[in-house]
Amino acid sequence: MDRECCCWNRDDIEQGGCPNVGEGEEDLLASKRQRNLEKCGECPTFINDLKRLQDEANPLAPILAGFLAEYRRQKAQVQSLVSFLDNKTLEIRFLHELGYVLQSSVDLDEVLSVALTAITAGKGFGMNRAFLLLCDREAGMLRGYLGIGPRNMEEASQVWNEILQNDMDLKTLAQNFRLNKLSSERAKFHDVLEQLTVPLSQKDHILIKALDGKRPFMVEGAFQHPDVPPELARLLEVDTFLLMPLISRNRRVGMIIADNCITHRTITEEDMHSLETFGFPVAFAIERASLYDKLQVELNRVTEAGKKLREQQELIVRMENMALVGRITSSIAHSVRNPLMIIGGFARSMLKNSSEADPRRSYIESIVAETRQLEGVLDEILNYSDSLYPTRDFWDVNQLVETALRDTADSMMSQGYATSYVPEQDLPLVYIDFKQLSYCLRTALQNDISGFGEERSIVISARKGTDCVVLTIEDRSRHISQTELDRILVPFSETRDLGAGLALALCKTMLDKQGIPFVAQGDLHEGILYTITLPTRKEDQP
Amino acid sequence: MSRLLVVDDEANIRLLYSEELQDEGYEVVTAASSAEAVEKLEVGAFDLAVLDIKLKNESGIELLQKLVKERHDMPVILSSAFSCYKDDFSAWLADGYVVKSSDLTELKQEIARVLAKKAQKIKAAMA
Repeated sequence: MDRECCCWNRDDIEQGGCPNVGEGEEDLLASKRQRNLEKCGECPTFINDLKRLQDEANPLAPILAGFLAEYRRQKAQVQSLVSFLDNKTLEIRFLHELGYVLQSSVDLDEVLSVALTAITAGKGFGMNRAFLLLCDREAGMLRGYLGIGPRNMEEASQVWNEILQNDMDLKTLAQNFRLNKLSSERAKFHDVLEQLTVPLSQKDHILIKALDGKRPFMVEGAFQHPDVPPELARLLEVDTFLLMPLISRNRRVGMIIADNCITHRTITEEDMHSLETFGFPVAFAIERASLYDKLQVELNRVTEAGKKLREQQELIVRMENMALVGRITSSIAHSVRNPLMIIGGFARSMLKNSSEADPRRSYIESIVAETRQLEGVLDEILNYSDSLYPTRDFWDVNQLVETALRDTADSMMSQGYATSYVPEQDLPLVYIDFKQLSYCLRTALQNDISGFGEERSIVISARKGTDCVVLTIEDRSRHISQTELDRILVPFSETRDLGAGLALALCKTMLDKQGIPFVAQGDLHEGILYTITLPTRKEDQP
Repeated sequence: MSRLLVVDDEANIRLLYSEELQDEGYEVVTAASSAEAVEKLEVGAFDLAVLDIKLKNESGIELLQKLVKERHDMPVILSSAFSCYKDDFSAWLADGYVVKSSDLTELKQEIARVLAKKAQKIKAAMA
């Protein structure tokens, strides 16, 4: 019996003295007890020594062999438990990471990206492919919404290599998927997703059965399975797949269909239980994100309603102000105009019937002139009050110009003016107070600026601009310097009296209030050029 | 000679209109209220009515609607102290509009225009 070749009964051995002690296990060289426990049980030399002991009929030999067998069995069991615990630790870590990512998001696409990445990532559940279907409660349908995974081996190799090269955590993987692949994956599986639509009322359909059952369901032998519609098996092209209902607060949220269409790795009971644990936070996160989406929509509606309410309130205040101004001006008009008319009217009548030699004639002429002056003031005040609250709408520029020309035709003709306007086709509608703009056009045509040139012509033109129509009135008859014209355009300026040509200033005020640029360029030789830029967009207006 | 009905609650305005329009060769009858205008219309025919929009405690527009409905062959000219009368769509029923002024030229021109139009219409109907 050669007992010298084995080390099991030696207290200390040198490096290389035991073939089972490897690098990094040097502490075993000086510890016989530890070396016996960890190495000798598996060592063929030790087992040979034990066998020789049995051959020699040593009574301790069978007892030692029994201890050794039991020790080896328990050791294997411990190793299996350690491995199981390691897996569970990884799983818990993964679920913790997943839960953290899911809890921190209220964006539906982000949640879905995380969920599907978790199912298919090697660090997650490592399934090859997953489809997400969502319950459309309003339409009463379970609809395919998103798919993830390769469609063939070539694509699978490419994707897995990519993942291997970029060691990313779940959150980064999901972000990467959402940013770079969400749309393309949706498009890639569009045909499949289209067909993964089942009415929620179709209780005998396997997807709805699994959904109503609220538990994961493994489908094996799909092509022959009595409950699996052949078109579903053909669509998925796999024999085995897992159906995982997504249930939140006892409500059906959707369904995940997962399979190993490329590797054909067996889906285990363990996979099912893990996925079931994973399903709850995913369903909750999806429902929360959906509710958040709806909340956002409702919030937008409320905000919009609030905005409209404010506009309505402003409109009511404005209408009340308009009504008040209307009542005041109407009262002024009747209280002042009627007496003025009577005084001036009778004065004119007396003047008409008095002889040229009548000494009272100059007095009557003064009454007529002063009355005319006061009527002018009244007109301007009433027009000004009318301008305080413009009533805007969309109008046709050609109609605006043609109306103003028609209204002033007689007067212009009697003064020997020639006006011209060629209606422009395809002009957009302009957002204006028609009445006020008509007044402004009439005023530009008929204003009391003196200083006439030889040519009595006014040319009006309209052309389309950016978000506007530019209207120009070229008056070659009235010649005035820019300085004087600027002074005329200031309402109630010190240099002008009421009733002495406030009309152009009033036009500028009216247009300013509507946010409409009004430019008047005067030239002592060329006449006046008015440019009015009429807006075509309601949104741009004050 | 055309016969005109002038409806205005101001006595002086009725007087002014009467004198000026008579000078123009019209026969003028006046009324101070809607009720009086209706009475005058019941006893005689008129070629045209000049109607103030704002009568004392009543609206001239209501009288206008009545006239258009019952006397559709008689044109009506609305006379107003304030040019915003066109804001009331009912006022569009009138055949002419004038803003009150001490210078009655515009009123006289409007009366002549509306009467000429009426005459043309009658002539066309007879032809």
